Amino acid sequence: MSIVKTENLHKKYPEPGKKSEFFYAVNGTSLTIDAGEIYGILGPNGAGKTTTLEMVEGLTDIDEGDAWVDGISVKQDPYRVKKIIGVQLQANEYFDHLNLSELIALFSQLYGRHDDPLDLLGRVNLDEKALAKPKELSGGQQQRFSIACALVHEPKVLFLDEPTTGLDPQAKRNIWELVRNLNDKGMTIVLTTHNMEESEYLCNRIAIMDHGKIIAEGSPQELILSHAPEPPKAPLHGNLEDVFLALTGTGLRE
Amino acid sequence: MNLTLIMTKVFLKIFSRDRQAIIFSLIFPLLMMLAFGFFNSGDPEPIVVGIADNANSSLSQDFIDNIDENPLFTVAQGTEQSLRPQVINGNIGFTLVIPEEFRGNPANIDLRVLIDTSETTQMNTVIPLLQQALVDVERDLRNLEPLFDLAIEDVESRTQSYLDFLVPGLLAMALMQIAMGGSGFNLVEFRRKGILKRLFVTPVQPKNFITGLVLSRLVIVIIQLSILLGIAILLLDITFIGNLFNLYVFIILGTTIFLSLGFCMGSLAKTQQAIMAMNMLMTWPQMLLSGIFYPIDAMPSLVQPMANLLPLSFVVNGLRGVAIEGANVITLMPNVIGILIWVTIALGFAIKLFNWKEVAT
Repeated sequence: MSIVKTENLHKKYPEPGKKSEFFYAVNGTSLTIDAGEIYGILGPNGAGKTTTLEMVEGLTDIDEGDAWVDGISVKQDPYRVKKIIGVQLQANEYFDHLNLSELIALFSQLYGRHDDPLDLLGRVNLDEKALAKPKELSGGQQQRFSIACALVHEPKVLFLDEPTTGLDPQAKRNIWELVRNLNDKGMTIVLTTHNMEESEYLCNRIAIMDHGKIIAEGSPQELILSHAPEPPKAPLHGNLEDVFLALTGTGLRE
Repeated sequence: MNLTLIMTKVFLKIFSRDRQAIIFSLIFPLLMMLAFGFFNSGDPEPIVVGIADNANSSLSQDFIDNIDENPLFTVAQGTEQSLRPQVINGNIGFTLVIPEEFRGNPANIDLRVLIDTSETTQMNTVIPLLQQALVDVERDLRNLEPLFDLAIEDVESRTQSYLDFLVPGLLAMALMQIAMGGSGFNLVEFRRKGILKRLFVTPVQPKNFITGLVLSRLVIVIIQLSILLGIAILLLDITFIGNLFNLYVFIILGTTIFLSLGFCMGSLAKTQQAIMAMNMLMTWPQMLLSGIFYPIDAMPSLVQPMANLLPLSFVVNGLRGVAIEGANVITLMPNVIGILIWVTIALGFAIKLFNWKEVAT
């Protein structure tokens, strides 16, 4: 059963440096995500991953097409969608002068809830930091806190935008376990990444995006079988990074 | 709980914990008030009068005593040679030279006054007082009763000092600075940190956010101005005869103008530096031209029409009218209308410019 669906999503922006010219950051994206999946959107920088997520989350206007979460149209009813989704953004700074416990309490109240912040902080192993400020946390702890803020209302779908970028291997694995645990309890998770290992380890299905379009979709195994170039003599099948580079080329992106 | 109320509470919590911001926004108006409060207390500094008494008679002594009694003067006696340089370097306001003939029953005696004539204001006050002192001595000598006397009656039951004039202006200035800086800087800061984006993926709507920010800032401004007003009334003993309701009507309306203008700047400015420059551009002309330190009537006539239309001028007039004339919202209606027009303009621009989907990213 699908829980997130987008149909022919388009987003255009003015071409940087050229007036009156446009380019499509997202150019006709259609995808269907099933309830209970971990779904990864892979792509080089500037491929349109974040813009796609922001349109589904109601942060960016949809120029063409529409998106639905749990059957609710984002275009028609963005605030009903916002009540059932949890979002972790790439930037994760918060109000100065508030500690973790107060911030979690604030986010809970925004969804009309009054749960004990310590319970939630405990789930991401931050209960001992309840009185600290977000700035005083390490990178991995900040990322776990961001995820905790997105979980205050037990959302049906959790969106994670590059959740492990910039983290050390230990912190990265820690986030992976957290995501797996949440998924085991039934939460649908949509994440963007350019870490191949991450998508291979976590995702049930992956969409590879480039130039605003989805150019391949399937489980990691399927993608490897159908796209990874067979090395001439080596018995190995290659890995997802080969898939990624074969599809998007080796040119540097920014 | 209502989302607007939640946002208001959280902003209040954040702002009240920013002690530095609270204290520093109070320091400037407080220092100004205290400085002028102490300058204005008591009588003006007496002018030092040098007297070279060449007569050394009982008559000259009477004359010197007469001058010494006047609170405007303190007498320093000496010789003409020793007093002259002190007039030149400004230690002594002027020097009187009493000739030897100033004794017994004198007639047609010239007293010489050594004074720096470029000090015209001093000349204008000093000369009539000296002549009065001479007339008094002459009357005593001739046993004359004065024909006329001035009986001075205070028709205004309250006396007004410069501080009474200044304090309402300083309140208006503090109001502008706290409101304008606050809202705009917050907006730029929240955007740059990604906080706006994060809030707008929750059920919070822009109207909850803006109303919360405005309400919390209003509360902060009212508290800060009440502290300043309390200090002015209790410690500096300023005249305040208006009623507080009218005063707070002007405070709330004025704060709304500057919060809205702050929102305009916050929506336009991409960086803290940009908003600082905009803030200077908006606040400095108003601080100089809105009649805070001296009345607009005393400005060059070319500037007056423009100065009268500045938003801060209406707020200053309103607060001052209530505080020192006991005026109310009805008698100050032209100012209320001026403020309401500015509220409409500023709020209109703020709503038009604050497109949160663009502002948030």
